[in-house]
Amino acid sequence: MNNKKIDFKGIALKSSDIKEKKVLTTSWKPNLQYAWDNGVAISRYFKELKNGKIIAKKCNKCGRIMIPPRMFCELCFRPTDEWVYVKDTGVINTFSISYVHWDASRIKEGEKPFIPAVIEIDGASEGMGILHVLGEVDPEDVKSGMRVKAVWKLPEERIGAITDIKYFKPE
Amino acid sequence: MGITEKITKNIDMTSWKDKIPVDYIYTAGIAGERFFREIKDNARIVGTKCEKCEVTYVPPKIYCERCFERLENYIDVGTKGTVHTFTICYENVDGTKKEEPTIIAMVKIDGTDGGLIHWLDEVHPKEVKIGMSVEAVFKAKEEREGSILDIKYFKPV
Repeated sequence: MNNKKIDFKGIALKSSDIKEKKVLTTSWKPNLQYAWDNGVAISRYFKELKNGKIIAKKCNKCGRIMIPPRMFCELCFRPTDEWVYVKDTGVINTFSISYVHWDASRIKEGEKPFIPAVIEIDGASEGMGILHVLGEVDPEDVKSGMRVKAVWKLPEERIGAITDIKYFKPE
Repeated sequence: MGITEKITKNIDMTSWKDKIPVDYIYTAGIAGERFFREIKDNARIVGTKCEKCEVTYVPPKIYCERCFERLENYIDVGTKGTVHTFTICYENVDGTKKEEPTIIAMVKIDGTDGGLIHWLDEVHPKEVKIGMSVEAVFKAKEEREGSILDIKYFKPV
């Protein structure tokens, strides 16, 4: 073995060293675009959201009404059957209070924390829910089991996306 | 049992299009910093030499890949090189046609074991040959910012 082992200490850099151009840097923004195939079920789901409706799909064998809709029942191992409209109200199954943005940067002083929640939709089977955010509610007042209702964007603002629902608020 | 519903109209076939915002800042490290500083301040290309293995690294490395010895002997390797391999590009990265083809080459720096990938210019694509002698053309000092692009291209000697 080489007994002349040298301690190779790195050079710690601060963000200010980069900002003040004390070190040379190369920066790049890759153009990372993607197109995710929505498939039959999600295509219809988005189309209905644009019209202000939430649609689910039912498996006639196990009787489950599933949201978001899917073409295949993973329990019965068979194609699902009917399209079923469900309500835009529901119950909070679980939630989280987030003090960071999606990129992990801390929210600013005075900025409200985000409250992502899984909402069990009325009309769908028990335990079937969608992930969304809560609004018009103080974080300390949020409870599991709380009843909530979707707040929609104006029809002309909707694009056929889950964000056509702005948030869910207490009923 | 087959799938019961199929999309029969193209218009019903949708996709979710989006962008993944990923950007980065790369710092060149100890040897890389020295390499770019020399280009920026002195229009010089430097490498590091391992005396034991008689290998000169361009761009410089801080350790020898063969004997793991630390390298601190930075040497000016000049700006001349030889075309080791090249390719002629007729398209941009996004697939659109270039007005004029560009030539990218691996230029072996003379007297060293390393080389740089860069553009060739002031030469017709048909005249480029492997083994051709070329030299670096630098930007004017005030335009240089410590990047490999401070070398504009390599041209035939």
